[in-house]
Amino acid sequence: MELSESVMKGLQTLAEPNVFDLKSFTIFMDVAFDSLDSSRGESVLGHPELRHIDQTTLKHCHTAATTFILEGVKQNADKSTISSCLEDVRFQNERVDTFYNSFQKHKKSLESLLSSTDTCPPHITDAEWRLEYCIKNSHVHKVNQPSYLISLNTERAGASSEINFSCTMDQLQDLVGKMKDAAKSLERAAQS
Amino acid sequence: MLLVLSEEHKEHLGFLSEVDAPVVGEFGRIAVEFLKKGSNPKIFEGAARKLNVSSESVQHGVEGLMYLLTESSKLMISEVDFQDSVLVLGFSEELNELLLQLYLENRKEIRQILSKLAPSLPHYHNLEWRLDVQLASRALRQQVKPTVTLKLHLEDGAKRRAHVLQTDPATLQHLIHELERALAELKSNHCRRILRNIK
Repeated sequence: MELSESVMKGLQTLAEPNVFDLKSFTIFMDVAFDSLDSSRGESVLGHPELRHIDQTTLKHCHTAATTFILEGVKQNADKSTISSCLEDVRFQNERVDTFYNSFQKHKKSLESLLSSTDTCPPHITDAEWRLEYCIKNSHVHKVNQPSYLISLNTERAGASSEINFSCTMDQLQDLVGKMKDAAKSLERAAQS
Repeated sequence: MLLVLSEEHKEHLGFLSEVDAPVVGEFGRIAVEFLKKGSNPKIFEGAARKLNVSSESVQHGVEGLMYLLTESSKLMISEVDFQDSVLVLGFSEELNELLLQLYLENRKEIRQILSKLAPSLPHYHNLEWRLDVQLASRALRQQVKPTVTLKLHLEDGAKRRAHVLQTDPATLQHLIHELERALAELKSNHCRRILRNIK
């Protein structure tokens, strides 16, 4: 893993027992992982158990630790890669293990977080429909045609919106038929 | 259901009884043409010169026919009702028969033109799809993420728009399931009863 000078320095500070004793280190790591994992995680700054550490140092270490975590998840780093990186910045075995255990615990959810921070077209999440029977309108009477109003709910970068359109029964059948083709091809691709 | 013609409308159509049947036939053809493609006032002047009448009379005659055709098509009145409605104009039997044929021959197309004027949402036109497996991104390497990319073409009046969307296999199944339920609903007893009774 390639790490910047600043990240290396931050990690080195984290390894120093006279700055972070083992208890502070464990608390620090828990908070660092939680801050990535959930939006309402605590902050290392002003944490009651970490008050004895200089705030600027804490901030630097937090940036370094979270960068290292995300880089590890991004590269799908294995245990030996992570261990050798941490040993390079003078982590003792105990701290390497503490880090790796938390890393394993949070890896899945961080992976899905990273896979969702992606530029992609709006993602369809659901479809709503309404069936109507048009009787007449201002221009034509005795229309007597059933029609569907379809609303596709989509999500992009956390913001949701919808696409609305109407279609006749034949058109809806066409739409569903094409979706089924796609689903069938997907199934076949998964089996081969 | 009978068509109620206003006095003004009757007066405008009255001009038709003053000319020969082939001329009325020609006026009918022009009226239908105008309904399909929009009106062209130049034609009125040419016809007026030929018939030696004012172009206003020709315009009233043609527009009166257009109105007669759109109103009867809009209401989808029956053959008998159409005949009874034009009776008040006091035309010859030949002329009445000519108008009836004009109405019956063009009713379907005029209704199609009129239905395009009705307020409507963007309409489904086509769906294209593509299967992809995402392998890596800037934020995450080593992925195997199947995705379905969909291009939905919608039609809004004369305008076409395409939306590029994406979904995952599980949601695709859910969408199919949900939309199939929508299709099945049309065959339910409730819907069939209403479709049968509103005629």
